[in-house]
Amino acid sequence: MKKFIIQVVVIALLAYMLELFLPWWSVAIAAVFGGLFLRSDANFWAGFCGIGAMWFSAALIIDITSSGDLAEKVAAIMHINETLLIIVTTLIGALVGGMASYTGSLVTRKKPAGAA
Amino acid sequence: MKFFLSLFGTLALILFLDRSWTVGYTRIPPLGKFLDPLSGFWQNCEPNNHIGPEDLRVNGLKQKVIVQYDSLLIPHIFATDEEDLYIAQGFVTAQHRLWQMEFQVMAAAGRLSSILGPGPDNAFVEYDRRQRRLGLPFAAQNAAEMMIQDPVQKRMLERYTDGINRYIASLRYKDLPLEYKLMDYEPEPWSVLKCGLLLKSMAQTLNMGDKDVEMTNALKLFGKEMVDLLYPDPDCDIDPIVNNPGGWNFGAENLATDSREIAKGLVGINAAPKSNPDLGSNNWAVSGSRTATGAPILCNDPHLDTSLPSIWFAVHLNGPGVNVMGVSIPGSPGVIIGFNDSIAWGVTNAQRDLVDWYKITYQDVNRDRYLLDGEWKPAEKKVEEIVVRGGATVYDTVIYTHWGPVPYDRNFKGEEGLSDYAFRWIAHDPSKEATTFYKLNRAKNFNDFMEALDHYASPAQNFVFASVSGDIAIRIQGKFPVRRKDEGKFVLDGSKSSNGWNAFIPFEQNIMEKNPPRGFVSSANQYPVDSTYPYYITATEYEAYRNRRINNVLRRLNGITVTDMMRLQNDNYNLHAAETLPFLLSQLAIDTAALRDEGPEGIALIEAYRKLATWDYFNDKDSEGASYFQAWWDDFYPRLWDEMLEHPFSLARPSEYNTVKLLKENRISMFYDIQSTETRESLRDLVRTSFATSVARIQKWKEDRELSRVRWADYKDTYVRHLARIEALGYHVQHGGHANAVNASGRIHGPSWRMIVSLEKTGIKAYGVYPGGQSGNPGSYHYSDMLDAWSNGRYYRLVFPKRPEEMQPHMFYETDLNPREKEN
Repeated sequence: MKKFIIQVVVIALLAYMLELFLPWWSVAIAAVFGGLFLRSDANFWAGFCGIGAMWFSAALIIDITSSGDLAEKVAAIMHINETLLIIVTTLIGALVGGMASYTGSLVTRKKPAGAA
Repeated sequence: MKFFLSLFGTLALILFLDRSWTVGYTRIPPLGKFLDPLSGFWQNCEPNNHIGPEDLRVNGLKQKVIVQYDSLLIPHIFATDEEDLYIAQGFVTAQHRLWQMEFQVMAAAGRLSSILGPGPDNAFVEYDRRQRRLGLPFAAQNAAEMMIQDPVQKRMLERYTDGINRYIASLRYKDLPLEYKLMDYEPEPWSVLKCGLLLKSMAQTLNMGDKDVEMTNALKLFGKEMVDLLYPDPDCDIDPIVNNPGGWNFGAENLATDSREIAKGLVGINAAPKSNPDLGSNNWAVSGSRTATGAPILCNDPHLDTSLPSIWFAVHLNGPGVNVMGVSIPGSPGVIIGFNDSIAWGVTNAQRDLVDWYKITYQDVNRDRYLLDGEWKPAEKKVEEIVVRGGATVYDTVIYTHWGPVPYDRNFKGEEGLSDYAFRWIAHDPSKEATTFYKLNRAKNFNDFMEALDHYASPAQNFVFASVSGDIAIRIQGKFPVRRKDEGKFVLDGSKSSNGWNAFIPFEQNIMEKNPPRGFVSSANQYPVDSTYPYYITATEYEAYRNRRINNVLRRLNGITVTDMMRLQNDNYNLHAAETLPFLLSQLAIDTAALRDEGPEGIALIEAYRKLATWDYFNDKDSEGASYFQAWWDDFYPRLWDEMLEHPFSLARPSEYNTVKLLKENRISMFYDIQSTETRESLRDLVRTSFATSVARIQKWKEDRELSRVRWADYKDTYVRHLARIEALGYHVQHGGHANAVNASGRIHGPSWRMIVSLEKTGIKAYGVYPGGQSGNPGSYHYSDMLDAWSNGRYYRLVFPKRPEEMQPHMFYETDLNPREKEN
């Protein structure tokens, strides 16, 4: 369990740092890294929770501190409500994160490349 | 194997979320990119009291430029070098309005489908083709070439362009305006040509009105006598802009008296886009002799689409030899309407026919040559390339003649008529308006004002002026062809060059007035001048109501204060209603006793009648009479002129003013009959039917909304809409007013900037407000922060310091633009 938590936290922090310089898909790099080097019993869920939590908290903080109601407007453009917009945002990040960390965990280390 | 499946799945998911998809005609933004809280749209949500960066490096600057924002987010730009000033203006404007300025240019240039795709039924491609075929890019090219011949103008435009491009170059995806993220595209570099496109787009909005086709058809169907009765010229010369009988002492240009030849045959449906007749403006200046302080007061409110991001961007420019404030058009350098330390100026649209259509005779079906003065002249063919997002590029050949482009032919809306007519438009001519604004921004007195206007050709405007030294003036400035009587009203034979615009009114003979005895000058798009002015003037339509209300109020007032002027700009008195409603009510001759027996419908009619009879003619927010009158008129007016509307050939309705005049004089009884019925209707039948229909419509309106009252603000439903028509980014506003009232607020257009300037010797006092806000970002507090004040008739005092230090008490934040220490 401890291992899993460390894995989640590292993925979230690393993803946040990579995103300062790289496009949104750099979260996948962070998750692959977490899956590869910090294996746990639930590698998919590690990336899922790590990226999901990071995106969820970032979106929530922005939503709470913002002066206007842009999130509400964007939700209206997408024919959903604001809560659902935050959930969709979280799930998209989580899904990419989960699949990437799972992919990372499947890399068989110390074997010749290409021998899958 | 499992690894590769998983890797493939992950990559596929990322690729899927990294691009946009179109479903039907809706583009779904790239979901991963768009929803990422660290770079997607969430980054456009500005926190409370968001302030911009303290320092920025901007390539090309020579010195540091100080940009101080006040609480409305109006930038006060202080530069020590003139070129730096315009770099900074370009940079700062782009910071707040980049998407809007580029989108407007794309629309003007006929490039919308490269962003939006072909659209439903190819609507965007057709829109783009029309812009190209009307010669908008051609006009902009002509303007841009002329502009860069003048070194001062060239420097201003190029540095402004540099500023915009420096900003664009600094952007990452995260920083892009929301609309780019939504529609999934990126800004391209700015250019001087784009400044030209904006100017021509303004000319298209304001100076492209014509009804030549409708008038030609009316002439052929009704004869000259009826045409003169229905569409008199001037339509109403009750209170012209300049009334100076006998004061026009100059040798006017003369043309041969033979009138020009009108093209033969009826002309089919007119596909030409019209300038919206509801777009107009007010401006006036009162002399110090009439004001409480003894200083002149200048007022201006241009009526345009009320859209977001707002049409105007307020700015204060302070540099060597210039200290000017007012509103700018995002994408165009300098201040367009405003004031400096010595003068103030404003504009309204000049109503003048600046469009003509010429029938072209081709030699054969190849259309390589056309007839002109007995010779077959070669036609120039220009291939327009229209890039369509997600579709094949469209190529369109446009023929250019001696007169200009031929917009409508066998390849484009030819079946709808106007086929093979060449389009002559004043805005196709090269011009150098940027010089005018450069000089107005620096003008010190009346002579400087006049000199600045000598460079101005299009779109023709009524320029109002006032100075701290006490002068007031108005000048109608533009490039106007010298016309013979009735010239310009009808489509013309294009085979003779003598049918063209062969002379223009010399600028010094344009209509103007300085310090008139009545102590004020004013304009509201009405007929411009008294009957002794030696040139023939015609236009699609003249304003008939606002102008008289303004003049009546100004004549009556004494010891005028800024508050009086605020009240006048927000005046909702509907003069059209005042002149029309008593007549309609007298024709209605309602029998309340009989109606009472008719149940709920009868009661509704009585109630409507009562509200109309007691209405004070003010289109205030809460007025119900205003709503009933509008519904009635909207039904009556087209019902009366059904002969025009239902005719297979395109015809124009007589103006509202002339309609009421002819009704009262009982001179149009032949039009009372409703074409679609067997019986022969009288005026009374028309009035009664339209009254009953309109009351029923209002009853339905109330039921649909479950409202017991039909308040004018609800019924009119002022809507400040987003430029790309994105519903969620617009606002419905509670606002009174009417196109025929001084507060000319309609549903989607109205006073786009209200400005009042008191030119006091102790310092200029200026007030302004517009329906929107300084930021173009829908996620900013300043996107719409002035909307509430605007709709309630409130103003902001504009802060106008001479030095950065004076800004301190008003400052929201400061951004310093610094030169690069070393350019690589």
